[in-house]
Amino acid sequence: MQLLNKPEENQSMIGMGEKSRLTIAEFAKESRIRADSYHRYHIDTIETKDRQALPNRFLVSVGKLGLAKLLISEVFEYWGKWDVVFARPCTYGVFSGPVGGFSPRPEKCVGCLRCTIEHPEFVTISPNPALSSLGDSYLNSTIISTIDEEAKKGTVPVRGQGYRGRFGGPGWDGMWTDMSEIVRPSRDGIHGRELISTIVDIGSKPMRLQFDADGGLVSAGPKMMSIQVPFVFDSPAKSVMTPRLAKIWKTAAEQVDTLALIPGEIVTSNNLASPSVVPIISLDSSETAGSFKNGTRMVQLDGWNPTVYSSISSSNPDLMISIRMSFEEGWQEQLNEMIDAGVSVIHFVANNHGEDGGGRFIMDLIVEAHEMLLKAGLRDKVTLLHSGGVVAADHLPKAIICGVDAVGIDLPLLVAMQARLIGDTSNREGYTAKFPRKFKDSWACQRIVNLTGSWRDQMLEILGAMGIREVRRLRGEMGRAMWCTHLEEEAFSEIEGFIGGGI
Amino acid sequence: MSKNKLPVFPSKTMIHKITNLLHDGMDARTTGKFEVPPALGDARWTDELILSTWHMAATGTLPDNLNYKTGKSNGGFDRLDFKTLDEEQWLKHSEDISTSIQLNRRDDHRKKLSPAIPIYGGGMSYGSVSVNVMMARAIHAKNWNTYMSTGEGGYPEELYECRDNVITQVATGLFGVEEKSIQASPIIEFKYAQGAKPGLGGHLLASKAGEEVAKMRGSVPFVSLFSPFPFHSTYSVEDHSKHIDWVQTINPDALISVKVSTPHDVDMVAVGSYYAGAHIIHLDGGFGGTGAAPEIAKKNIAMPIELAVPKVHKFLIKEGIRENVTLIASGGIRTADDIAKAIALGANGVVLGTSDLVAMGCTRCANCEGGPSGRGCPWGLTTTDIELQEWMQQDWGVKRLDNYYTALQWRLRDILRKLGLSDVNELVGRTDLLVYTRSDGE
Repeated sequence: MQLLNKPEENQSMIGMGEKSRLTIAEFAKESRIRADSYHRYHIDTIETKDRQALPNRFLVSVGKLGLAKLLISEVFEYWGKWDVVFARPCTYGVFSGPVGGFSPRPEKCVGCLRCTIEHPEFVTISPNPALSSLGDSYLNSTIISTIDEEAKKGTVPVRGQGYRGRFGGPGWDGMWTDMSEIVRPSRDGIHGRELISTIVDIGSKPMRLQFDADGGLVSAGPKMMSIQVPFVFDSPAKSVMTPRLAKIWKTAAEQVDTLALIPGEIVTSNNLASPSVVPIISLDSSETAGSFKNGTRMVQLDGWNPTVYSSISSSNPDLMISIRMSFEEGWQEQLNEMIDAGVSVIHFVANNHGEDGGGRFIMDLIVEAHEMLLKAGLRDKVTLLHSGGVVAADHLPKAIICGVDAVGIDLPLLVAMQARLIGDTSNREGYTAKFPRKFKDSWACQRIVNLTGSWRDQMLEILGAMGIREVRRLRGEMGRAMWCTHLEEEAFSEIEGFIGGGI
Repeated sequence: MSKNKLPVFPSKTMIHKITNLLHDGMDARTTGKFEVPPALGDARWTDELILSTWHMAATGTLPDNLNYKTGKSNGGFDRLDFKTLDEEQWLKHSEDISTSIQLNRRDDHRKKLSPAIPIYGGGMSYGSVSVNVMMARAIHAKNWNTYMSTGEGGYPEELYECRDNVITQVATGLFGVEEKSIQASPIIEFKYAQGAKPGLGGHLLASKAGEEVAKMRGSVPFVSLFSPFPFHSTYSVEDHSKHIDWVQTINPDALISVKVSTPHDVDMVAVGSYYAGAHIIHLDGGFGGTGAAPEIAKKNIAMPIELAVPKVHKFLIKEGIRENVTLIASGGIRTADDIAKAIALGANGVVLGTSDLVAMGCTRCANCEGGPSGRGCPWGLTTTDIELQEWMQQDWGVKRLDNYYTALQWRLRDILRKLGLSDVNELVGRTDLLVYTRSDGE
């Protein structure tokens, strides 16, 4: 995988190095080497089998007496035509065992219902309550099943037939993304030769450059890094985050070229420091900020204290310091304070249902934060990250449209590892996870990589449909969002009984 | 049959056995002889909507004990109802209540096509469905003096017997597009986008792109086909106009339909298409059916048809061209009530696709793209598997569709008479005859 910002990477232009003049032949050779070393970013997904499979989608019940009666009657009716007698009403193999319907294989059932329509007297197909009871009202069984498939195959889920859910809905479901009938980011498809970039920048860009009278640069350059995908791996509940899980987070983040946010004490005690690891440190242990080596590029302070921030940023000038904060009462003032203090990376955290303490959904909160920065003319000086409530591939572009640069994901990674979440999953610290009994770290890592590959490809589908060529341009593009409440108002306001306000 | 066993063309006895079991089973479920299958249905197509469609397709009448009007999606059509008059003001139920619409509203020399009902069949390509399904839809369209679209996959030879009722679709992959089929068609449909996968082009996964399908499409067998998006020759509305000129040169009599998705600027797209020469603006909403589409596209890209139709209708009025163009809605229209609501919101008529398949037995299991078996629909609808496609026999399909449309027309007339209207064209844009409910229509 390509890792950007590596210090050893030679960024000089051909012919502009120490040997400033090259012959034509040298130039051609050097150019060829550069061209051949180009690595187009791609996430290598590999189908990765289940270790703790989800419950079957359907329960298959076959009345044995009814089946026996049918067989006997068909033996007489179709005597000699044994292929007709033993034809089984399933193309998916539910009745493909040695004794057919007498011992069905429900794990193969996809719910086509042909068997129960053909033989209503003795075959019943029902949704499996063991599956539908997984998760909670937000991270529900449908989302869990989808993540499981994405983590297994690493592909974009494709199905026939149309949409099956509710019209609009609360939260992210109240937004549709726009598309263009003509404009495309590339003319050979979203996976074609032309790259649709999902790179995002973390850090601060100077709003302008300053030069002295002699033309020398006097202002500081950009203090930022780039990651290849608009999401980072956030730390789950403390009770779940073990050193082993942290290593998996780190390895997967390195493979994908993103960041893994891991509690600082785990980073230190397990020697996990790396350019792809962001240690989360409490205000009480802020003095450890400079202790993370091995190319650590950023640390994250868990909370805001201007004095602490000032102290560690001045003593670690090359280290990016991000601040983790929740949407609590007075967050707007705190945001302003942080901006004034020069904080360049702010990581908002909501609960796992995407709500602040008062039950307000993050979509509105992100928009508010983004617009505050826009009005102040400071949006490009600050990177906004957000964690909490992003559990499906479509939530990712929607959060970015609302104004964040990138999102943090944690629960989807656990689900990708086939962990069963137990307890209050809405609360960031209120749950535990039961992992598969035996699994290899490489298996878990690949499941996470697969999930990221699938989500990135789905991001490309959304960007491609819009005709947008890079995800950075999607940030805050609220003109490319269509809000259910607005459109309903426009369409139905003349209709008697319409009161608006969403559903 | 085990999935490892190669499919073979089934014997007559086998076809007789399987089709009888399927037909009897569907009837047994709709008549209440057996319970509603617990795994049937979802919020948009509820179990009752599927069973009532089966009932209509079997009998040509509306069911007594099933909700055949609305789903449970909590919005859109499912929140709308009609402000019917008091019973004494209702018109008599009669075949004199006109359900015919005019497709060519331009003052030009082209055909004045008037289907008997404000409905025609949406594009489902050869490859995504079998020839049996295509032919059943085409013969049904002929029986009803309406139309069906080929979809993007070519024009199988068998369809020529119904040429006056078959729309040739020209989509971005240009699969199977031939001068001959363009010349044969009364309507040429340019598919810019599809509601279920706006901005993404068609998908036909490898397992369904068999020898015959590949031959028709001019492609390599068992290689997945992804249509490009958009038309590589279209960068502007002027390019779109050139497309229309091109087709009109080949077939000067054909009407031009432009099928687009429902983005933010769908109203502007509609106006542009009209000025480029379109007779029909066909809006395909985000909840439409598909043979295969990324799940993320179905829900999240582009708006539902209920919201797009009034937006476009109002804008066309504002531009002073509403009377000169036919506005057709599709993508999530399931029932006669949905059809009437779409028209009241501003459409002239609708296109049905999924409903046709449900009438022919579809349970919406979503395995059309091949499913784990790789063979496509186990009901014989969205498949070209030589064995499976025989489970949907053409004659039976025609009967089902004819019956289903009889029931749809009956219900449409029922709605019109209860609103005091004697012609479906009087319903266009009459949002004053709708009421927004806070429950799902029941």
